[in-house]
Amino acid sequence: MLQKPKAKNARSKRFLVNREPKVVENAKSAIIVRGSSTSQVILDTLKDLYALRKPNAVNFTKKNEIHPFDDETGVEFFSRKNDCSLFAVGMHSKKRPHNLILGRTFNYQLLDMIEMGVEKCATMKDIGAQSCAIGARPLMIFNGESFAQDEKMILLKNLLLDFFRGEEADRLSLKGLEYVITVTTGPPGPNGEPGLVFLRTYTVDLKKSGVRQPRVELALMGPSLDLRIRRIRFPADDMWKQAIRVPKEIKETKVKNISRDGLGDKYGRVHMGKQDISKLQTRKVKALRKRLDSRPAKRPKTE
Amino acid sequence: MDVSGILEEHKGRFQPVQVERLIPVEHDLGCLASFDINMLDDAALRADAGVRETYLQGLSREGTQLLVNELFTLPTVVDEDSVYAALPKRSLVLPREKPVPKEKPMTRWEKFAKIKGIQKRKRGAMVFDEAQGEWRPRFGFKGVNNDGQQPWLLEVPQSADPYQDQYQVRREEKKERIEKNQRRHQRNAEESAGKDIGLTPHKMRKRDLQSALVLSKGSTASMGRFDAELKGEPRVKGLRKKRSPLVGAAGVEKSKSLEILGRVAKGDSSATVLNVRKAQRAINSSKRRDAAGGGAATGSKRKGSGKR
Repeated sequence: MLQKPKAKNARSKRFLVNREPKVVENAKSAIIVRGSSTSQVILDTLKDLYALRKPNAVNFTKKNEIHPFDDETGVEFFSRKNDCSLFAVGMHSKKRPHNLILGRTFNYQLLDMIEMGVEKCATMKDIGAQSCAIGARPLMIFNGESFAQDEKMILLKNLLLDFFRGEEADRLSLKGLEYVITVTTGPPGPNGEPGLVFLRTYTVDLKKSGVRQPRVELALMGPSLDLRIRRIRFPADDMWKQAIRVPKEIKETKVKNISRDGLGDKYGRVHMGKQDISKLQTRKVKALRKRLDSRPAKRPKTE
Repeated sequence: MDVSGILEEHKGRFQPVQVERLIPVEHDLGCLASFDINMLDDAALRADAGVRETYLQGLSREGTQLLVNELFTLPTVVDEDSVYAALPKRSLVLPREKPVPKEKPMTRWEKFAKIKGIQKRKRGAMVFDEAQGEWRPRFGFKGVNNDGQQPWLLEVPQSADPYQDQYQVRREEKKERIEKNQRRHQRNAEESAGKDIGLTPHKMRKRDLQSALVLSKGSTASMGRFDAELKGEPRVKGLRKKRSPLVGAAGVEKSKSLEILGRVAKGDSSATVLNVRKAQRAINSSKRRDAAGGGAATGSKRKGSGKR
């Protein structure tokens, strides 16, 4: 365990303060780690993942004895050291050929991870098409019913979105739509084993269409990965709960009595106080008019 | 006048942007994603690479077209030289990287101000210095408050000693003010540190002192045996172990062993014989030690200095 370091000067203090928890967080960074033995397929995959993640990524070029499913201390250590909350670890063994592990940490503790076998990898270099600009945000498309039903696939969807989404912004340059990552689930095998997951990356070409929306044309960019899910570590409930908390400062305050329907029409509800009937203006009749002096009228003398 | 022909011709020049989907596609424009749960063509996905790639590209094109159509209907902002679409908030729940920051504990002044309803007033950082005819910072480097020369003429108060250096008095007063502020800063820090563990600064000081005392006891060669005992000194376990003599006390040893045996044989209250909790802890710790010893080789390698 690393000890909490103490700043010795203003510069290092600024650096440490920048690492502290924030209300609005910066974009997540990823570490790309290669295991003790790797295959060319895995190396290519890691290289392309790094290219897509740049500049929020740290690429490890040396081998590391690391097995996140057996011992998470390794990734947690790297995560703390590099201040990265995403990791991709690639390794290759006889038992698990071309093994790719994608995962996340929360507060430098392992949150969840998915182990996948890379059955096919066509890299950007293989395809040789033009690549996207560094740091561009991709469009993400998930095809298949299981992304809404299967627990494993829901986690994979969440993890991939987190991995590739890049820096979040409240606006998007419409010229900056550069590439799209599509993830499609394949059909299950004959014995009911889960099918392949096809991850494809295309560059987007927006063409004139005569209307406001452009016509979209795609060209393969790479990487194209055929993945088969192996082991999965789901997040612990309490940790997940901690991780999805929204700070008070950015939580949207609920506006009372204003609602919108599906068509975008706005409805307001007005609450009336209790009406004071005694002050109600009724018809003006002379007989009901109040006297100027509030004294009761004199009774005529009876004698 | 019939313009349908012209429209048709215009349309014919471009490719369509409409895409048909049985179940409407769900979009999350905040993270530029869309989720399509329509049935996929399993035959195409099982087929050989060529057919599959064509199918996947077609599917992706249609999906992208739908997403782009949505993005282009968003309200736009024109800024400098580019057109931006104002994105809505993301609806998908993604975990944070680090926990939500803790709230800072209030200082004594903040608490007081809250009760009294005193609000912070914004004061400009720069002040106009009329003597110099320029703007200068209120505090800090070249600030108006730390000149030491202003005002350069000081009146000697009626009650004061006429030979007292009033400039010196002023310097000392300022020094005192700074020290007082530092003391309060320290106090606030101590109070906030103790708040997490539910201790007052006084209790915390006491605890620190006691732990220091215990440490110092073990630091002498005699393990504090001949140290003068202090008033209210904490009792320390395991420091002064009284051992029975090795020779000449066979009777004592025998009686002790018999006593233990008797307790075991009696077996009335198991807690006195075997502390289950303690035993469990001992087993666990020895197991952990074994495990750590086994993986030591890989562990040390992994945590090498900055190895990547």
